[in-house]
Amino acid sequence: MTTGALIFAFNNSEIDYLAMAAWSAARIRRHLNIPVAVVTDSTECVDAFDKVIHAVPEGSGTRHFTDFGTNVSWHNANRTTAYELTPWDQTLVLDADYVVASMQLAYTLQAQQDFLCHRLAYDITGLQTFDDLNYFGRNCMPMHWATVMMFRRSTTAELIFKSMQMVRENWKHYCNLYGNPRSTYRNDHALSIALNIVNGHVLHQPDIAWSLASLTPEHELVQTDADQFRINYQTAQSQRKWIELKGQDFHAMGKRTLMDIVAHA
Amino acid sequence: MDTDQLIAHSRARFDHESARRLLNEKYIAKMLFAHAGGMWRAGPELLTLLHACPEQDVVLLDLYNTPIQVNTLDLQLLAHSRWQEQMNAWLVEFEQVSKQR
Repeated sequence: MTTGALIFAFNNSEIDYLAMAAWSAARIRRHLNIPVAVVTDSTECVDAFDKVIHAVPEGSGTRHFTDFGTNVSWHNANRTTAYELTPWDQTLVLDADYVVASMQLAYTLQAQQDFLCHRLAYDITGLQTFDDLNYFGRNCMPMHWATVMMFRRSTTAELIFKSMQMVRENWKHYCNLYGNPRSTYRNDHALSIALNIVNGHVLHQPDIAWSLASLTPEHELVQTDADQFRINYQTAQSQRKWIELKGQDFHAMGKRTLMDIVAHA
Repeated sequence: MDTDQLIAHSRARFDHESARRLLNEKYIAKMLFAHAGGMWRAGPELLTLLHACPEQDVVLLDLYNTPIQVNTLDLQLLAHSRWQEQMNAWLVEFEQVSKQR
C-alpha cells in the first residue's frame, strides 16, 4: 500500500502557494518520511515534489485577505477532486499553509479509519474562541476542517469526496438548507455537509484525536529555528505579547508572514 | 536598524498563560499511539483500566470505539513508557516556559 501527502497549490496575484507547498514538502519528508505530490497548474518548483499532477484551477472566487488588506482571487474548489487525483492508496491532504513541525500526523496514518479530519481548531494566542469557525450556519452545525484530511481508497472516502462535489455544484441549495449566510464556496463547509450526509446525519463521526492549532492572519510569525516559531501579537488592550511554538504543527492562516519565512528559507 | 521595532520587540512580554495552554494541547496530542490495530491515549485512565484487568488478553474499545483484542501487558508497557516519556518532555518545556521573561 502506498502512502503519501497531497498538496493543492494554485498561485494567485498575491500568494505563491507553490513555493509554500515546496517548503512544506521538505518538512513533510523530514518529519513523516512520506513522498509528496502536488496538484498545480504551474511548471515551476516541480523538482521539490515526488509527483506533480497538473490540473486546471477551479472555483475562482475572490476572498478578502486581512493580512494583504485586499481582495484576492482564490482557486480552492479542486479539493473535491483529491480522491480522483491522488496517486497514493493512503493520502494525507494538507493545505499549503499547514506547517509540519513534528511527526504528530503519523498517528493519523496509523489509525484504522477510512477518513479523518480535524473537528475543532483553536487560536494559538487564545485571543479568539473560534466559535464562529468551529460551527457554521443558523443551526450552529459542527464544522470539520479540510486543512488536514487523511483518507484511504475506500467506498466511504469516495462517497465523502463525491458528496463534497455535489455540495459544491449545488452550493446555493446547501447554503439555504443549512442556513449558511456565506455566498462564496468554502471547502470546510462542503466537507462538513458531506460528512453529515455520508454518516447518516449523526453528529458523531471519527475525527483526528486532537485539535488544530491555528494562527490567525493579524499576528506576526517568525521562524527562530528549523522547528521553532515565535508568534508576536497584541491583546485587545494593546499589550504586546509573544509565545513560542516548538515541535508543534500548526495552520498558518496568515499567508503573508508565512511567505516571508518561505522566501528566506 | 528600525529603533521603534527594536523597542516594541523588547517591550513584548511572554504570554505564560497561553504558553501553558499550548503545552497542554501539544502533549495531550503526543500521548496518542497505535497498537494492535487500535489507537490509544496513554494516561492514568488507560493505565488504571489495564491494571484492573487480571486477564492477559482482553477486548478494549480504542479511541474510535473499535473493539480491539489486546495483550494487557504489552499495551500497559507501551502506554506507561509513552506516558512517562511525554510527561517528562512536558515538564522540561513547562520549566523553560516558566523561566521566560
